[in-house]
Amino acid sequence: MFFDANCQVGLPMNGGAATATIPALLAEMDRNGVDRALVRHINIDPDGAVVTNEELAVMLANEDPAARLCGVWCILPEQCHELPPPDEFFAAMKRQRIGALTLSPGAHRWVPSRLCIGKLMDAAAERRVPVILPNYSSRWSDLYQFMADFPRNTCILANTGRWGADRAIRPLLEHYEHFHVELSTYWVPEGIKDLAELYGPERLLYGSGFPELNHGSTMLSIRHANIADAWSRLIAGGNLARLLEGAQLS
Amino acid sequence: MSRTQALWEQPGSVAEQFWRHGRADFPIYDMHGHMGAHNAIYFARCEAPAMDAHLARIGVRRLVFSHHSALMGSMRNAAVHRIVEGCSERLRMYVAINPHYPEFIKEDLALFDKWPFAIGLKMLSAYHQVAVTDRRYEYALKFASERHLPVLNHTWGGVPYCGGPQLLELSQRYPNVIFFHGHSIFGDWDWSRRCIVEAPGNCYLELTAVPGLRGIIERLVRDVGSERIIYGTDLPWFDEYQVTGGVISADIGDDDIKNILYRNVERVLGTDW
Repeated sequence: MFFDANCQVGLPMNGGAATATIPALLAEMDRNGVDRALVRHINIDPDGAVVTNEELAVMLANEDPAARLCGVWCILPEQCHELPPPDEFFAAMKRQRIGALTLSPGAHRWVPSRLCIGKLMDAAAERRVPVILPNYSSRWSDLYQFMADFPRNTCILANTGRWGADRAIRPLLEHYEHFHVELSTYWVPEGIKDLAELYGPERLLYGSGFPELNHGSTMLSIRHANIADAWSRLIAGGNLARLLEGAQLS
Repeated sequence: MSRTQALWEQPGSVAEQFWRHGRADFPIYDMHGHMGAHNAIYFARCEAPAMDAHLARIGVRRLVFSHHSALMGSMRNAAVHRIVEGCSERLRMYVAINPHYPEFIKEDLALFDKWPFAIGLKMLSAYHQVAVTDRRYEYALKFASERHLPVLNHTWGGVPYCGGPQLLELSQRYPNVIFFHGHSIFGDWDWSRRCIVEAPGNCYLELTAVPGLRGIIERLVRDVGSERIIYGTDLPWFDEYQVTGGVISADIGDDDIKNILYRNVERVLGTDW
């Protein structure tokens, strides 16, 4: 079972050749044999968290009747009250098939610190709600600070960057037991085997990087990572399923 | 739970072979590799034995590489050839050309015919900050032209040292050289097309860093034909399974995949090298 931890759906603000509708994603998943996917809205940065959270929920309800997709909602600083309080927010996530959180402080112009999101992140840690971190591969110092501020949260780094990020990610895997790495751009030769042996296969997650990237390249590298089949199954989908099932949204 | 038969399950397909067995019943030619440590990236497997073990798993018959330290440091090509001499049959080398040291170019190319494992030249113009059309490459390119050798260039869309216009001019100036456009003029896909269709039949797009991008291999095959595309990984930068997975999961035919993975190289260079 492949469960994709890194997809984006929606119509990109500036167009582009890559079609990212939910039907296009489901067709790609079928073609490649991917069963389920965790999806973020592609316009989180330009269109903002409030609008895209709502739009993603509607898209999931209308375009994914078989419920193969699980959504990700974007958070904002608590003090502006743009999102409901944590209990209400998590209950809405559960109702609308949203399983994880993300944030985009650079695009949304805020500082990802305890000052801004401490209560929400503490509630997310308590409830074991995964947090997807997609925009940090060129800002490692920011990611290090984020993990220092929120060491109890279940975090998944998406998009490590293609150019061998071991020097950046290994210290995080070593120091933070709840830190995970999604593999769509982790293209290091035999690197999946190395990371699994060093930090455990439970810390690694299959992701496609749709719509920019295709599904198949990382699937084959996991399939032939030269590790035990049980480890491959965890990385392919077991880990993400476990993390999402472990979240207590209400 | 998948709704249709996945590409990996298509009976008799190339994808099924790789999925089930981790290799196919044909060889792979990886025409873009490196060797040695790198300043900015940790490479756990960048020396010959570990690279060879990785290549063997997926069935690579030849990896042609240029050593990082010959391109970016002070290692000379003779030392690289000595490494290859002591290795498996899988490794071959490009002679690294550094335009800032013309005397080294002449000295090394004077030894070329004594190096059986050297099969062509590698130019890294963006890093050396000398355009591929610069006269400092002339000696090496004339040498390659006389011998009808392959020259692997690092290319990248929009980069003035090695972008589409420069590579097209170069291929027209040296029609007897076989040009492998490393990274396929990455990101400037219309120039990728022009560098093939407007060249005098001597150019190939090499795929390093492209497999995995959604829809790009499909576009290149449509634009220039799979007969003009060859496979590469930058090993030890990228994993052979990731790159091969990107090629075989692209929405192209099995004949296209075979052209890319081995047929084109065997047609251009033969099998006895």
